[in-house]
Amino acid sequence: MILRALYHLGDRVYFLHKSTMKKQQTSPLRIAAVLSVFVLFSTAVRAEMRTWTSSDGRTLTAEFAGTVGAGANAAVKLKLENGSVINYPVSKLSEEDRLFVKGNLPTDPRALAAEIDTLVKNKQAESFYKLRDELAELPEKKSLTNAEKAKRKEDIEREMEMCKPNNMTNDNQFLRRIYLDIAGRIPTFVEAEKFLTSRSAAKRAELIDELLDSPAFAMRMYNYYSDLFRIRDGVTMMGNGDLKADPYIEFIKASIREDKPYNEMVKELLSATGQIWEEPAAGYLLADSGMRLCNLSNTFTVFMGTEITCAQCHDHPFEEVYQMDFYKMAAFMGETEMRSRGGNSMMMMGDNNTKEEVARMSKILKDAGKLRERETEDRNLRQWLGTKSIVLHDDGSNAVQLPHDYKYDDGEPNMKVEPATYFGDKMDVSKYDSPRHAFADWVVSPENPRFTINAVNRFWKMAFGLAQIEPVYNIPGHLDGQAQNYELLTFLEEMFKDLNYSTKDFFRVVYNTQTYQRESETMSPSLTQIDKGTYHFPGPILRRMTAEQIWDSLVALTTADPEAITRTGAEQYKQWMNTDTTDLNSADAIMAYKADWGKIGQLTKYDGTYVSRDDYVDGVQMFRASELRQPMPAGHFLRMFGQSDKQLIENQFTGGSSPQVMALLNGTITNKVLTSPDAYLIKEIAQGSGSKRDNIDKIFLSVLSRYPTSEEKTVAQSGMRAKTDRGDSDKAKLEAEAKAIGNVIWALVNTREFLFVQ
Amino acid sequence: MKDQLNQLDQLGRREFMARTAKTALGVSIVPMADGLQAVKAAGGGKAEHVIFFYMSGGMTHMDTFDPKPGTETGGSTKGIKTGVPGVELAEFMPELAKRFSDIAVVRSMTQKTGDHRGGSYWMHTSYQPRATIVHPSMGPWAQTMLGKKHETLPDSVVIGGGGNHPGAGFFGPALAPLPIGDPEKGVQNSRPYSGVDDKLFDKRLELMNTFDEGFQRKFKTNEVEAYTQFYDETLKLMKSEDLDTFDLTKEDGYQEKMQKYGNSRVGKGAMLAKRLVSSGIRFVEVVSGGWDMHNDLWNAIPNTGGALDKALASLIDDLKAEGLFEKTLIVLGTEFGRTPKINANGGRDHHPRVFSTMFAGGGISGGQAYGESDKLGMAVKENPVTAGQFNATIAHAMGLDLNKVVYAPSGRPFLVAGHTRDPKTDEIVTEHEPIMELFS
Repeated sequence: MILRALYHLGDRVYFLHKSTMKKQQTSPLRIAAVLSVFVLFSTAVRAEMRTWTSSDGRTLTAEFAGTVGAGANAAVKLKLENGSVINYPVSKLSEEDRLFVKGNLPTDPRALAAEIDTLVKNKQAESFYKLRDELAELPEKKSLTNAEKAKRKEDIEREMEMCKPNNMTNDNQFLRRIYLDIAGRIPTFVEAEKFLTSRSAAKRAELIDELLDSPAFAMRMYNYYSDLFRIRDGVTMMGNGDLKADPYIEFIKASIREDKPYNEMVKELLSATGQIWEEPAAGYLLADSGMRLCNLSNTFTVFMGTEITCAQCHDHPFEEVYQMDFYKMAAFMGETEMRSRGGNSMMMMGDNNTKEEVARMSKILKDAGKLRERETEDRNLRQWLGTKSIVLHDDGSNAVQLPHDYKYDDGEPNMKVEPATYFGDKMDVSKYDSPRHAFADWVVSPENPRFTINAVNRFWKMAFGLAQIEPVYNIPGHLDGQAQNYELLTFLEEMFKDLNYSTKDFFRVVYNTQTYQRESETMSPSLTQIDKGTYHFPGPILRRMTAEQIWDSLVALTTADPEAITRTGAEQYKQWMNTDTTDLNSADAIMAYKADWGKIGQLTKYDGTYVSRDDYVDGVQMFRASELRQPMPAGHFLRMFGQSDKQLIENQFTGGSSPQVMALLNGTITNKVLTSPDAYLIKEIAQGSGSKRDNIDKIFLSVLSRYPTSEEKTVAQSGMRAKTDRGDSDKAKLEAEAKAIGNVIWALVNTREFLFVQ
Repeated sequence: MKDQLNQLDQLGRREFMARTAKTALGVSIVPMADGLQAVKAAGGGKAEHVIFFYMSGGMTHMDTFDPKPGTETGGSTKGIKTGVPGVELAEFMPELAKRFSDIAVVRSMTQKTGDHRGGSYWMHTSYQPRATIVHPSMGPWAQTMLGKKHETLPDSVVIGGGGNHPGAGFFGPALAPLPIGDPEKGVQNSRPYSGVDDKLFDKRLELMNTFDEGFQRKFKTNEVEAYTQFYDETLKLMKSEDLDTFDLTKEDGYQEKMQKYGNSRVGKGAMLAKRLVSSGIRFVEVVSGGWDMHNDLWNAIPNTGGALDKALASLIDDLKAEGLFEKTLIVLGTEFGRTPKINANGGRDHHPRVFSTMFAGGGISGGQAYGESDKLGMAVKENPVTAGQFNATIAHAMGLDLNKVVYAPSGRPFLVAGHTRDPKTDEIVTEHEPIMELFS
């Protein structure tokens, strides 16, 4: 597949640069470069003669010599005994041979990255010449007025400019961007200096590897998924907090840390059975408890980039989704229940055993005078233990029927519906534990035409700020002509499959592309460009940081180790729920048990000890957003800058507002926390031995990941004059110093340069 | 996700620059209201202000404005007399029932979608959500068509809204409603931090501008320029004395009033809305959540419904006392109703086919229920009203010309209450007419 470049050797290959723009024949040098890549990989695969079988049973003896193309066009290169090489379509091979090919595909990230770059460049060139032709023909266009021609000319010229790849980022730009994209925050000055002074030729690739394996990557990806899956501390929409999301949150983070294949993660989310502390992945479906049909729509949006909500009430007006399809799909979830039988759904009473236990413990507490006068039952115990009845399971009776006002002639109102898919694999439900398990398999099947595409389209958007197909939640049924770059998109799809759905490897490839490592686009793509998919990624889009990226960057400015403090409630929660309460026979023991509930989900440090207020910076929990409350309450800095309320899928926003500006100008964070004598950066500078000029370097490197210009240095120096008297105490001096340094930090954090990901 | 498109979609570059330049000089691009003649035909045009209560999550019609006591779908909700024969409100609305002669209830609203986001969008904009454009909500529409109402205060404010509000849509960030998260906190962070005097503040701004010069010169994207514009606007607002307007505690008899409005989020929102309207702000939206009652509805409705009842009733009283009731339209909307059939969890699910809204003041003829749902509250029986008609009614009350074409920067034409093409003349005309029966 990476050898696709060879595929183009006979064609013209286009090189586009900002400065020179010419069509040229492939140079011999280029061919040599491509060939060397080829040699590298053909030696990597052990050469052996083997017998190949086609899907219709014919055989051939040949040596595996790599592949060309991707997706439907992928072909295997077979070296025959006489030495000649033929290309044979992978799709025509037997299943076994297809697996063999897949297992032998080179997955070197840089080679794959080069392939992506070629596909991007080809598209840019194709588009550039198309626009150039249109420009040439424009004066002759009779259907347009002169004014319209002038407008069109301007648009074409602008778009042509955006077909040329941007310059490569310098190390500072790259450093900041890669930290924000992988670690979810800016680098500390220590991290920045380490990279900038490294002399390794492969230091960018090395940093990418290092960051993907850091705990910070899991935090960053968790923030993305928690917006997508609407992960809230109370789990359910109407949850009162008695059911805890901690195990589910930990499941997502661990899946990322351990690089669990994406398809496996999704399958677990859709097929988990049990209580959330036992089966953490159950959190995904429990989130939509009581809203079976909404959950189906959400699952389509999140995992298949398909909006089918409207088919709940009528045939989809624009796509081929009939109302019947919706209910047939819903029937896969028809047996799924959120509560155990015998559990009282209204009052959260739990099963009979639990009820008896709560009554027994309540009586002990009552006798000991630990309950209020008119109370006979401990409300907390009832609520907490009552959640034992929340059990995701399938009960064998399918409850899905057509709506009472069903108006199409393929069914009657209120008719029961049997599960059936309307695209992808046909599923035989009888082979599974429940229809839901069949559904989970169907969703993650490599044959599901939308599952992998959806993932790579979304991941591309994370890296570049704009997806191949917009909007990401509505991928049309027919991709060709709709995708920004169809060849690239299908390449990414195949690549993700070939990488065995490794999220880390997928991003490793994408971040190693030149396309990613180019400077950000300096203009916004136009509406038409997004609409028609004619933005061709001369570089990533300039993005405002997400709310979490802003917050976590501020954390990096105030604490020495931004990832030191984490949320670790899952195990405690499980233990608490599984405690055998029949051993608790005294009021003291029961009260101690109750007190343990409050400790679940407390933040912990590396050594396992709980975080106390001493670990806060100036009274504020300056810890990574992924470890704080999910979501933070409305009005918190994170919410103001667009953290999702986790009510709707992808409900985060990155738009500006006056309140944000006021928070940066006048809020506690920029005026107090960042300049607190407790803040890491301030401590480093105020107590360090560096000269004022060195300190200014340090501040710029910390906040903007670059050094100041000489003019900036002069201006910064004037802003950093501290007012101290000889008689002042050390503490007073430190405070005055911190305040003076704070002026510069304040000003830097208030720049657009800080807020945007270059 | 839409948000990004929203920003990319705002204004063409040139228009954007023009607007930025003008606002930076303190000259608004839209003329002041004096120069414009409002439409005052047929009872409309009386509402100089609008207070829009948005019940987020889908307000149950069955247990608020359209109860069906004694039927198989009515649940345990009882009716309460309004003084108008044959018209009852749900028992959770006792104060509004007493003031029914001042309000008009619409019981035949109908929507095309049962998803929150889509439904909310439709109710706010009269348009179906699209991935390629964001349509403006009513406050920015009024500002565009009538001119800015107050020289320094914003034209529209949204209290308690989430991140999903369509805002000014394609009109751009300059017309975006000012969001207030917590009505009690007013405009957060609107004064310099303690210990930062004017001199230091200006010094810091100077540093900021020097440090940011290179970046701003290089990146001329709409989003960067929007932020720069927000900085300019915010600095202007900080220097004005208008900020007291947003301080609820400055209200006369604050504590006493707070009790009367109900010490609830929606009550405080209503009280702040009244204060803002008295100060000359045109369009205030109060967003109130908690209506997505899939589970245990009758546990929630006494509080949620009760709080709304108190808030609206007190607002009506206060506006009357201040002589603002006739000049202020109170509207209540939501994305859809809830299923008459009670589900297994003792709740009601999404039900767009029929639901209720409410109007009062601002030229509305009270004491009436317009339209009707069927016996069980399942469907519209008489006079269906769409989101477009709902907004057309608001627009008419404000005196907006429903047929005035406004172009988005991309050149696409839009009308305040949705548009369609007149088959005879091929002109673009309004898709929806106001409910004229509501006007006195």
